[in-house]
Amino acid sequence: MPNPLLAIEHLRVDFPEVIAVNDLSLTVEAGDVCGLIGPNGAGKTTTMRAVSGLQECTRGSVRVCGHELAQEPDELKRRLGFMPDFCPTYDQLTASEFLDHFARAYNVPSRAKRIEECLELTWLTEKTNSLCEELSRGMKQRLVLAKTLLPDPQVLLLDEPASGLDPLGRMELRKILLQLRDAGKAVLISSHILTELSGFCNSAAIMERGKLVTFGTISELGRKMNRRKMSLKWRADGDKALEILKSANVKNLEVAGNGAMFDFDGETNELDELLKTLVTQGVRISEWRGAGDDLEQIFLQSGAKELM
Amino acid sequence: MNLNDNPIFLTQKRLVHRGGVLAAILIAALVGLSLLSGLVAYLADPMDFPGFKSAQEAGKMFYGWTIGVEILVLIVGGFSRISRALADERKAGLWDSNRLTPLKPSQLVIGYWLGSPLREFYMAVVLAGIGLIIVLLGRLPVTLWLGTQILIFSTTLFFGLLAVIVGLVLQRPQGGIIFLVVFIFSQFPSFGTPKFIVTNFLLPIYGIANLFRDAGDSDNNNSISAWNGLPEIFGLPIYPILLSLALQVIIGVFLWNATVRKTTSPFQPPMLRWEAVAIFGILLLVQHGLIWGLWHGRFPEVQSWAGRPRFYQSDPLLSMIHCGTMLLAIIILAAASPQPETVRVKALRLGIKNLGAIFSGSAVSLAVVLAAVAAGILLLQCALSFGNSWKIYLIAVGNLLAFFLIFSLLLEFCRLRFRRRALGFVALWLFVLCILPFILAGVFSNEAFAKLSLLAPGAVVLAGSNTADLKFLAECTFAHLGIALLLFFAWQRQWKLLLAPQSAPVAK
Repeated sequence: MPNPLLAIEHLRVDFPEVIAVNDLSLTVEAGDVCGLIGPNGAGKTTTMRAVSGLQECTRGSVRVCGHELAQEPDELKRRLGFMPDFCPTYDQLTASEFLDHFARAYNVPSRAKRIEECLELTWLTEKTNSLCEELSRGMKQRLVLAKTLLPDPQVLLLDEPASGLDPLGRMELRKILLQLRDAGKAVLISSHILTELSGFCNSAAIMERGKLVTFGTISELGRKMNRRKMSLKWRADGDKALEILKSANVKNLEVAGNGAMFDFDGETNELDELLKTLVTQGVRISEWRGAGDDLEQIFLQSGAKELM
Repeated sequence: MNLNDNPIFLTQKRLVHRGGVLAAILIAALVGLSLLSGLVAYLADPMDFPGFKSAQEAGKMFYGWTIGVEILVLIVGGFSRISRALADERKAGLWDSNRLTPLKPSQLVIGYWLGSPLREFYMAVVLAGIGLIIVLLGRLPVTLWLGTQILIFSTTLFFGLLAVIVGLVLQRPQGGIIFLVVFIFSQFPSFGTPKFIVTNFLLPIYGIANLFRDAGDSDNNNSISAWNGLPEIFGLPIYPILLSLALQVIIGVFLWNATVRKTTSPFQPPMLRWEAVAIFGILLLVQHGLIWGLWHGRFPEVQSWAGRPRFYQSDPLLSMIHCGTMLLAIIILAAASPQPETVRVKALRLGIKNLGAIFSGSAVSLAVVLAAVAAGILLLQCALSFGNSWKIYLIAVGNLLAFFLIFSLLLEFCRLRFRRRALGFVALWLFVLCILPFILAGVFSNEAFAKLSLLAPGAVVLAGSNTADLKFLAECTFAHLGIALLLFFAWQRQWKLLLAPQSAPVAK
């Protein structure tokens, strides 16, 4: 059985009026990017702060690379990188001085070289000598990401990392995350914008009101789903296609022009059978896909309703 | 570890330098050189300055102004700088980012403690250098310069640690300076009896005044006698500079531990219970040691008043010390009192359900311990006259206990009941209980109504031994203990409500 780089067990965090995180358990293994999804106030940030040791846990345990947070907090600090959802920077320092501060704090070997690498990785090389206060929000966000990557941590906690980024920045962030995934890091990334996470998350944890609604790899969660929203478009033989769909196990069929949207109750292989039937009956299909990406599907199926 | 290897110190240094230090250094130099030029002018033509009788006297005056500015810059400016830097960085999230690095908590503390007030240190070095020239030109002993600089530097470090705690505890950056101003103003009443009040030795004032006297003053005999002579601890004379340094080091060790602990885990109170008791006990013991020579354990019988100013021939000094004891207890109880939410989380974690465990960890039980410590130390003043003084002693102790209990119960009740608005309600209730009786007594200015002031908890203990109506004082004390009992029931109810399982609903 693989040893997860990040293991959270029965985590509970209490706030004066609410239980912010309640009995949360999840694991992130090497090479996994786990999306922590939920509406505002679901407990995502609190979970991340508790995992990093910034928030006191009422119960439960957090292990990073096998080291228990409660017993070996210093070991955790060396292996964990936390990027908060805002951009704490020293406004009067330059970007390179800011990174130098943390490189010294983490005792990073070959400091100057590593700072250069991180600035390059986050496309801030030309801002090396700019004061942090002169950087835009997106740039600060990238600078804080660079700071998080400096000590080359095994486990990364990224809290809404794309919130201040422009579309190009989001695409570049996606590239970095894929690189981290390929490098065998364990990444827990939170967002309430599902499109930010789709494409590179290979597992997802959905939270609502402090509780974990569902957790698993994307494929596991896909298998768990018993209803999907599908989209179909055809070039010809639309009537035949509608006839087949009506006879199959579909619901909420909506026809619009040369296409239709419908909900499908059933297993993935049954859906495959439906497609096969359409093709063998001669329907010329131009598009066949899930309406919304996998994460959206998972979220919609999870029962968590208040995504904002 | 070299200071320049400490990233926090290095960053603070970079921030200070980027903000500009030249202007600050030039201002310090300008002030210092103005004072130096004053002395030079006097030395060039003494007849132009009839106010000074000698070069030494002029030197002392100009050096006194120089170190006055130095104290203002280092202690007040440095305190403000450290507490503001920490409060700002906590607010910005940088403090958390730094805490997540493998840096040791002590490295973090040192970085802010010595790094944030770097501009003030530079200014002080300039002023100290000019001060040395003034001392040499004024033909004053170099020991005056050395002694005063040591005292100023040690006080700066002491207040710097206090500033770190204030920055870590208070939410608003300006909270630090408000704290310092309140602390300094609270010292003014003690300036009438400087040699007998312990806090004057935590500050460098008495030590510096004494060094100036030792430096040879032609007008020595006319100087204020209260500021002359060595203080005595239980009859043993001690150099004020040594007493100041010893007190600052001892209390400084506790402050250091508190800053490191608070840096390691912000969820802990700044003071552990044993530390709270130790600080309270040490300060109170030194305080009563300082006034030991007034009664020699035979309070309220007068032993020897030869050479004492008239002010000491009554009880006001002891009343002032009781007042200081109560203020110290307020600070300690507030600092050591755990936040209800932290206690609730701990109770949930450890499965604690009974109020006994809550009580033992609360400020209320600490109040009882502090009252016991105060009672033990106060006993020293009347140990040899207990037969005559036991009634007033018991009333005083009972009243201290009542005051400590009322404050701690009020504090925790308000935190439990009003949460974020607790401080305002504590202030309101303290006003109603402690200040309003004095106002009413002032408005209805006859003797019967004047007794209303004794309804303020703690006021009985301040009444001293001259109040003949001990029965009334005892009744007041019992009334205060009754108030404490009522508050206890309210406090108990609030804790039960907080610990009830349904008190923390899941997030909506």
